[in-house]
Amino acid sequence: MKHRKSTQWLIISLVFVTTLVQAQVAAKPNLTIKLPLQKNSVRFAVIGDSGTGDKEQYEVAREMETYRQAVEFDFVIMLGDNIYGGHSARDLSQKFELPYKPLLDAGVKFYASLGNHDDPDIESRYRPFNMNGERYYTFKRGDTQFYALDSTYMDAKQLTWFEKNLQNASAPWKISFFHHPLYNDGKMHGPDMDLRSRLVPFFQLYGMNAVFSGHEHAYERIKPEDNVYYFILGNSGKLVHNDFHRSEKMETSFDRDRTFMLVEIVEDSLYFQTISRSGETIDSGQIARQAASVKAAGAK
Amino acid sequence: MKRAWGATGLALAMLASLGVGISYGDATSQSKPASAKDVATELQARAQQYLDLRKQFAGTPPKSTDSPEVVAGSQRALGNKIQVARAGAKQGEVFTPRVANYLRKRLASALKGAHGKQIHSSLRSAEPVNIELHINQNYPENVPLQSTPPSLLLTLPQLPDGLEYRLLGRELVLRDMEANIVVDYIPNALPTAKTK
Repeated sequence: MKHRKSTQWLIISLVFVTTLVQAQVAAKPNLTIKLPLQKNSVRFAVIGDSGTGDKEQYEVAREMETYRQAVEFDFVIMLGDNIYGGHSARDLSQKFELPYKPLLDAGVKFYASLGNHDDPDIESRYRPFNMNGERYYTFKRGDTQFYALDSTYMDAKQLTWFEKNLQNASAPWKISFFHHPLYNDGKMHGPDMDLRSRLVPFFQLYGMNAVFSGHEHAYERIKPEDNVYYFILGNSGKLVHNDFHRSEKMETSFDRDRTFMLVEIVEDSLYFQTISRSGETIDSGQIARQAASVKAAGAK
Repeated sequence: MKRAWGATGLALAMLASLGVGISYGDATSQSKPASAKDVATELQARAQQYLDLRKQFAGTPPKSTDSPEVVAGSQRALGNKIQVARAGAKQGEVFTPRVANYLRKRLASALKGAHGKQIHSSLRSAEPVNIELHINQNYPENVPLQSTPPSLLLTLPQLPDGLEYRLLGRELVLRDMEANIVVDYIPNALPTAKTK
């Protein structure tokens, strides 16, 4: 009896989601695309603090699918807090599989990093998160090497692994993503100073290009700091209104609605577009790949 | 923070933290002065004993799977078996008084050291967790895992794979990552927070 009810619930949910996505796509024929959409580029989306299972998460997911059909990104990086609250089978379904079903069905891969609300064991072994049973890992797409770190537990073993992988990296672009921001003007959490003191020296030494973090439930882009670009996006599900006290490090911010990002890397340029739940582009731009820092050049 | 083990345990821990030779482990865990190597060896041995017991009674968790049912269910099943195998486990069995005293000193030293300011800042920005701890019980799945500043982790002896330290307020928890079990904890592991 219980099994039949769950099956009925699942079917109703799937029909509901599919219908809403179709309606959304039909209603938005003219999207604003700020990316060059060049052949053979690396295109991905970014979400953070997404896994609430609330309607706002579903609405962001629908907007992502609308843009995917135009932009054709084929993977998503997740900045942690991928599943809030419990981690039962139903939680994984409601807070991940159902909202992103259209993306998953289209073959989009998700690469998760761990936040403080995540269960490291369950999520690292959950194959749709592509963590291969590890709390931290690396993967390469095109000319870009990605490093998914576990900022909730940055122990000696992880730091050693990170440095070894940076030493061996040959990709022109290096991008890290993890949950806790190193720079951030949010009132709710602010920057993780101790984490910053441990990671920034690696970024400088080995020439990290861009860093994506979540945790703070809003969007912020930091002015390049030590030759590294920092993006904070922790509002793909959660949101804190009026979260910022602006500092001189802030380039731009947005805390009025949920967002996700689209990123495209073409040769020496990274293009980004940050989009709200309602489809409004709230930030966009192009950054040039930085020359290796003096320290990095000296180390090579 | 509430205590699951009552006033007697609290008194014992306070005495232990003062270096009084009260033991609720075995004779090897008396609070006599110990070198870092001795303590690390003792902690490794106790942690390994736990992992051996886990392997004997509960096996190992399955590898990656597409199934939400399997991935969530296997952790719960592993935890249930460990709870049965360790029924009656007490606080201080892995973090013996000698180990606990040493770790408290290491943490206090780190907070006063070169990275102390950053550690305090990170602790303030972490989402505070305030729950009642129970040895050999699940870490509540709907409660976030408080992030632990790297400079504190770097000052603690390394643990075998499968176990991790976690801060909960001022407590230092030994958590079985794969079974989500609170293996042990040290009460008042961090010094009292400064008030500003």
